[in-house]
Amino acid sequence: MKNNVIITFSQATINYQQRAALEDISLDVYQGEFIGIIGPNGSGKTTLLKSILGLVRPSKGSVQIFDCACHKLRCHHKAKIGYIPQKGQIDPNFPVTVSETVMMGRYSSLGLFHRPSKPDKGLVETALTEVGMTGYEDATLGHLSGGQQQRVLIARALVQQPEVLLMDEPTTGIDPPTQHSIIRLISNLHKNLNLTILLVTHDINMISPFVDRIALLKVRLFAIGTPSEVLNEKILSEIYGKQVVVTTKENGLYVIVGDYHYV
Amino acid sequence: MFEMLSYEFMQRALIASVIIGLVCSIIGVFVILKNLTFIGAGTSHAAFAGVTLGYLIKFSPLSIAVLFSLITVWIVGYLSKKGYLKLDASVGIFYSLTMALAVLFIGLMKIYNAEVYGYLFGSILSVTKLDLAIIVLLGVVVLFLVYLFFKEFHFITFDEEMARAGGIPTGWLSFLLLTMIALTIVISLKSVGAILVFAMIVTPAAAAYQLTYSMIRMFIYSALIGTGSSVSGVFLSYWLDLPSGATTVLFVSFVFFLSVLLSPKHRTILTAIN
Ligand SMILES: Nc1ncnc2c1ncn2[C@@H]1O[C@H](COP(=O)(O)OP(=O)(O)OP(=O)(O)O)[C@@H](O)[C@H]1O
Ligand SMILES: [Mg+2]
Repeated sequence: MKNNVIITFSQATINYQQRAALEDISLDVYQGEFIGIIGPNGSGKTTLLKSILGLVRPSKGSVQIFDCACHKLRCHHKAKIGYIPQKGQIDPNFPVTVSETVMMGRYSSLGLFHRPSKPDKGLVETALTEVGMTGYEDATLGHLSGGQQQRVLIARALVQQPEVLLMDEPTTGIDPPTQHSIIRLISNLHKNLNLTILLVTHDINMISPFVDRIALLKVRLFAIGTPSEVLNEKILSEIYGKQVVVTTKENGLYVIVGDYHYV
Repeated sequence: MFEMLSYEFMQRALIASVIIGLVCSIIGVFVILKNLTFIGAGTSHAAFAGVTLGYLIKFSPLSIAVLFSLITVWIVGYLSKKGYLKLDASVGIFYSLTMALAVLFIGLMKIYNAEVYGYLFGSILSVTKLDLAIIVLLGVVVLFLVYLFFKEFHFITFDEEMARAGGIPTGWLSFLLLTMIALTIVISLKSVGAILVFAMIVTPAAAAYQLTYSMIRMFIYSALIGTGSSVSGVFLSYWLDLPSGATTVLFVSFVFFLSVLLSPKHRTILTAIN
């Protein structure tokens, strides 16, 4: 086994009540890798991320990160995992500002009884600059647009100074130009900070130019490999239960699912 | 004015009203933001049942009230944590169960006990030295805990799952918060009353919620409104010879409607509770 494996699933099965959300998953994630995770609704993508965070634990097999079972992670380990959850509804009236939200990313490193100090505030400022949200420090989080909120949540993950970034559909419900700028932001973070990134998305075409590998999930891990290995018509139509066409475009593959039209 | 302050019972009433106003309104912010409104109502009934049992078996009513309300919030918290039952549903069960117990215990007493009814409607002017000592002690404990875990509670009320993912020990902190709510209700029981205490917790925070988008300011406004109303309630009830609990609640409700009118956002209580 390579020694720079950072996350390991070995034959992990995760159940909610009696039903399996993930079954027999085996996967090594290498340090510095950018993996895109795709699959239909209910295929277990969010569950996969939650299992790395220790929010759900496998009934069979194991999920490990930093050589430690995920459900046993201590604070200093959790601090190294940045998490951007699938967009819930942020209550537009919840009294929390942008800088307070980002500061929450420092809490696990600070630990109980310690209050944020100067250096923490510095990190918040830097992270907000990095995601292009300076000037919004005192804005109410709920009053920002979806794309701006997403940037703030990325900043919140960055102040943790993470080694691993888990992102659950960070671009869903966001207009195409903003989607692209967010993906580019993520890709730059990946390169500059050498982050290991697992990103869940439904937009195969948007991420395929950026990722090292794509994981195709449908309760089981159907396929894992480089975009050109995984994105073929046979595998995709099997997973989505619909006809799929894969064509080539300027910079890579282009996937059309379902009722496509030739242009 | 100064004459009334020379009465010892009046001094006790004022100190008690400041502490209760402060503690209720601070805890209320978490209750409003974390949608625990109904838990407050359920717990105050449980505490009242404890008081009636105390009078029945002639054992410190307040200690049994503490016991009853803690058992209630812990069971309710456990059921919802394990996903057995929604919080509201289990609170609903305890709400009626404990009220039934209270009615039962009162029935078993055979004689009419005016003091028991005092706990239902509150009478801050009858707070004894011992009552005051308990109010001060528990009040300080609750406020100190809020201070100690402020950043964690802020995170948990904002997004519990994200807090858990970030390594915040949300398990015991949620139970600590429930415990603090229960203690707050118990110390307010005698002066505000089991039926009205709920208003002291929810209303100042709901009023503050109308006025600001900052959590810190929400705490400050809520504390000012809660403490101000509670002290005003004592004065008004003394001058006008009205029941203190009712006077306080009417006063704070008035402040609430005022803040809805003055709110720059025209938010309603409905969005606050949802
Ligand atoms: N807390 C839960 N309790 C019970 N079942 C759950 C829970 N969370 C998820 N599930 C179930 O587990 C399965 C996988 O859910 P998951 O959220 O991981 O899917 P997903 O791939 O993220 O879907 P989507 O694309 O819609 O976000 C689904 O069938 C879902 O109904
Ligand atoms: Mg999901």
